Amino acid sequence: MNAFALAPLILIFPTIGVLFNGLFGRRFVQYNQSIGEKWTGWFASGIALASFAVAVLLFFSLLAHGFETQIVRLFDWFYIPSADFRVPWAIQVDTLSVTMMLVVTGVGSLIHIYAIGYMHGDPNFSRFFTYLNLFLFFMLILVTGNNYLMLFVGWEGVGLCSFLLIGFWFDRVDPNGVPANANAARKAFVTNRVGDFGAILAMILLFWTFGSLEFEPIFEGAVAMFEAGHLVQFGSFSAPLASVLTAVTALFLVGAAGKSAQIPLHVWLPDAMAGPTPVSALIHAATMVTSGIYLIVRSNVLYEIVRESGVQILGIVSSPDLVAYTGAATALVAGLIAFTQFDIKKVLAYSTVSQLGFMVAAAGMGAYVAAMFHLVTHAFFKALLFLGSGSVIHGMEHGHHQHAHAHDHDHAHPKPSPPTEGEKHEMGVVPVPFDPQDMRTMGGLRHRMRTTYVVYMIGALALAGIPPLAGFWSKDEILAHGNEHNLAVYIILTLAAAGTAFYMGRQLKMVFFGAARHEAAEHAHESPPIITIPLIILAALSVVGGLINLPFLSESIAETYHQHAGGIWLALEGWLEHSIAAFQLSEEGIVHLPHTPIVLSPSVAFVSVGLALAGLALAALVVYRQRPRTADEPDPLQRTPIWWFAILPFDTLYMRVIVPLFNRVAEWLAYAVDWAFWHDFVHDRLIRDFFVGFARFSADVLDMQGVDGMVNGSGRLARGLAAIIRLSQTGYARNYALSVFLGTVALLAYFLFMAN
Amino acid sequence: MPDVTIDWYIALSSILFVIGALGVLLRRNTIIIFMSVEMMLNSANLAFVAFARHLGDLDGQVLVFFVITVAAAEVAIGLALIVTIFRSKKSINIDDINLMKG
Repeated sequence: MNAFALAPLILIFPTIGVLFNGLFGRRFVQYNQSIGEKWTGWFASGIALASFAVAVLLFFSLLAHGFETQIVRLFDWFYIPSADFRVPWAIQVDTLSVTMMLVVTGVGSLIHIYAIGYMHGDPNFSRFFTYLNLFLFFMLILVTGNNYLMLFVGWEGVGLCSFLLIGFWFDRVDPNGVPANANAARKAFVTNRVGDFGAILAMILLFWTFGSLEFEPIFEGAVAMFEAGHLVQFGSFSAPLASVLTAVTALFLVGAAGKSAQIPLHVWLPDAMAGPTPVSALIHAATMVTSGIYLIVRSNVLYEIVRESGVQILGIVSSPDLVAYTGAATALVAGLIAFTQFDIKKVLAYSTVSQLGFMVAAAGMGAYVAAMFHLVTHAFFKALLFLGSGSVIHGMEHGHHQHAHAHDHDHAHPKPSPPTEGEKHEMGVVPVPFDPQDMRTMGGLRHRMRTTYVVYMIGALALAGIPPLAGFWSKDEILAHGNEHNLAVYIILTLAAAGTAFYMGRQLKMVFFGAARHEAAEHAHESPPIITIPLIILAALSVVGGLINLPFLSESIAETYHQHAGGIWLALEGWLEHSIAAFQLSEEGIVHLPHTPIVLSPSVAFVSVGLALAGLALAALVVYRQRPRTADEPDPLQRTPIWWFAILPFDTLYMRVIVPLFNRVAEWLAYAVDWAFWHDFVHDRLIRDFFVGFARFSADVLDMQGVDGMVNGSGRLARGLAAIIRLSQTGYARNYALSVFLGTVALLAYFLFMAN
Repeated sequence: MPDVTIDWYIALSSILFVIGALGVLLRRNTIIIFMSVEMMLNSANLAFVAFARHLGDLDGQVLVFFVITVAAAEVAIGLALIVTIFRSKKSINIDDINLMKG
């Protein structure tokens, strides 16, 4: 049997997980928390591992079949005969989708297992794992679909799961009584809708132009139409294909900006940290937020055609360049904002935004492999960092409890929750409510959480781009491409990379070095193995992850499977080349991909490593140099101009300008347009009054006078006629006899005189 | 003495028929009306017989037998009706029998 026929299993397994945990998980957990946790948690993790196994199987099948793209058609979703428009449920197994599947299910499995430990004791344990499995399901639909509509189903599905998981503790309120988690979930959802709007418009344009939503027909059609100089007809108006594709690709950028948190739609991601930490690691670092990059890489043919055509938006910038600039700007700005954050997860969140900016910039420069490479390594080390921060938070929580409830060791503790008013007085140490995520309350944790410290260090150095860790290779590949193709992007990204090293150094110093600044940090202790083992695996991946795209690594494999034109073989490059169609196009000379397999450029690597080391060193020197003893002391950085970025945040812009403006417009729309015009005027005056008037006319005139009049009239007519005719019925027999005689006479007269 | 031709018979038959018809239309007594009807039937019989003789065809005579038979049955039913009406109304005045008045 063909192994590709097993591809649907990758979707079926998570479905089973959702059904099992969704239907029965709650009963298990309610029946017995610890047994229920084991069953539901390990079942969900087993589901993730089974999906991973399918992904691995597909990986080897692709190797065995010479990387040939396979499409497994399940059934038609719908078919519109008049337009000959067919959207199938079909799984596209190619090197790109398998790469995503491996990342999603592999990192996903580790995070599932970690979450068993992290979510321990939560009364909604099974709901959490149901959502995680549901997320896996939608994410796999997103990456496996062979058409844009399936991709969009997954796209919306992961958005939904993101909403559900950010708001997992939706009932928690902060000390001011604001349901912050629920608000964060809503913010993420609404912001994503803006991006989705762009994605939908792009899909409509694609359907209009190509009459299909499947990848292959669209890409092949685009190439053929581009070569033929085809014009796209919009009614009486026609546009060159490249202009239409410019609109499509720009709209895809809007979609990607929403999902992958690019300026100016990135504001939801830092707030999304309200969700449980495994969620932040899985959805908001490793997988879901990368789907925007996947969308751009998947649509590479469209971007390359636009680049080749030279069409520019408003004559200023072409859409691939716009992608690159958006990514670069995001990388720099988010990195600078990360300098000013105190919440351990918010630093990582802005760092994620920044790294996503790197990937988007790479995709915009046509360095699709570099983008995917960074996507994969980033999934490793950012998942590691988030899970590590979860371990730190977990340790801080425990330390806090041990300190605050010294006589109550076996107190079943809930997950990090904003402390209540009462708890504040109870602690009596810090004047603000204790926040286990605030880095100012940490310090010196390297002595108490050794494993977490080591793996966090690896993750941070990988992110900072220190060789030979994974992040160095992927980030420098992007930088090398920038150096080659777009100097402005290169400079911005290099600055952002230096910033990355600085804020990670700052975080390391605040969390792990120095002296403990709070009792909770003093009493913190290491997390259980179920939390640390996934961390160690991810740390190992963060160390060796760079190998997947190292040059010169395996000449023998290169000879077996692929001989690159330039004689240089990069593993991931050679692998992805089979599904990034722009490569074939560039070999055929249809587009000129600004892409040459780039071996690390020594000068670029030297500069970036130097800047990374300088950033780390600067952080070590500057941050908390004077060893503050308590959490109250201000961050010395607050005296520097860097702090201007604290007020730069887009949240302020959004809250001060966009949200009020939006509210004003919304109010105007609601009251003036919707209520006054639409409801009062159109509905009430035009529609309702017309309808009421018509109904009244029907009832009073048509029905009462017309229909009833006819019925009554026929009655009256019958009565009137009867009143006349009854006169003939005298009751006197001789009158009847006379009429008989007269009739007879008449008949006789007729026969005698007329019949002849 | 003139010959008695077919015309005489037809004249007599007509006179009898008119007398009968007037009796039906003008008289109030049900019995009389009944007898008038009989007279009309017999005037027709007379005409049938006269024509049969004149034409030398027996069909008319056969038909007269039928008429007499039907008249006998009619008389039986008619008299029975009159007796019954008299029993309930104590009258055989035809104007009193006006239930069919509209």
